[in-house]
Amino acid sequence: MNHWMFNCRKVTRMVSDSLDHKLPLYQRFGIRIHLMMCKFCSRYRNQLLLMRKIIGPKMMDKKETDLSIKLSSKARERIKRLMQNSRNEVS
Amino acid sequence: MNDIRSISEKSPVNPDKWVGRYGDYLYRYTLVRVRDVAAAEDIVQETFLAALNSYKNYQGRSSEKTWLTGILKHKIIDYFRNKTKEALYHDTNTLSFAPEDFFNRKGQWKIKPVKWNADPQKLIEQQEFMKVLHDCLSQLSQRHANAFILRKIIGEKVKEICKTLDITPTNCWVILYRARMYLRRCLEKSWFADETYEETS
Repeated sequence: MNHWMFNCRKVTRMVSDSLDHKLPLYQRFGIRIHLMMCKFCSRYRNQLLLMRKIIGPKMMDKKETDLSIKLSSKARERIKRLMQNSRNEVS
Repeated sequence: MNDIRSISEKSPVNPDKWVGRYGDYLYRYTLVRVRDVAAAEDIVQETFLAALNSYKNYQGRSSEKTWLTGILKHKIIDYFRNKTKEALYHDTNTLSFAPEDFFNRKGQWKIKPVKWNADPQKLIEQQEFMKVLHDCLSQLSQRHANAFILRKIIGEKVKEICKTLDITPTNCWVILYRARMYLRRCLEKSWFADETYEETS
């Protein structure tokens, strides 16, 4: 690949950065051109996006609203008991 | 009516009522991130006990729920940190693939990404995959893991992560880059490895 274009190593770094902050225009443009020609970097980008979907906070927020997930009564009682003990020790 | 409700939500409740009032919420928050029932219960328990100890310092500046969630987040980070330590102890080839190892001197791919055929929704419903993901996460070096967990598991902004870890933004981006490179390769190796390997470009 021509040296005036970004190489794969640089592109992977910039693709990662683009997930954390907005890149300058020339970088976004450079990445675009590179991705059009480079199968492996496109793959890399898709994989990072997939990872973001799997581990991202969005996926969690969705499940966080699932009200059927509850602390078991066993755990609940245990915690209450431990808290009571701890308070008795202090006082 | 609204006034009364907002006051009762902000004014501190008796610690005896914490579990009943916030237990399920804190547990949900934890389970979604940790994905292990026993571990999640322990973390919630530790959170309440820690809150009890530092209750005197609670100024009532934030709502009680926010305050408890703050303590919980630290406990979740501790949990992953400890997992990281365990992994470091057992596994000596931690970060064996640094980003530099993937490219030749011209910056071209040496270890090429393999094609992944995966539906994210189906993936996270597969227990085996989640185990692989946890294993990969726990193999990250501590610095990388902390940054990555804060960013991805807690959903913190990069700015706040830099503050927490006391590093510059550029450093933060490098760390996240390295963590992603590692994690990507780890998942590829341990989950997608059976895909057909393509050498040609």
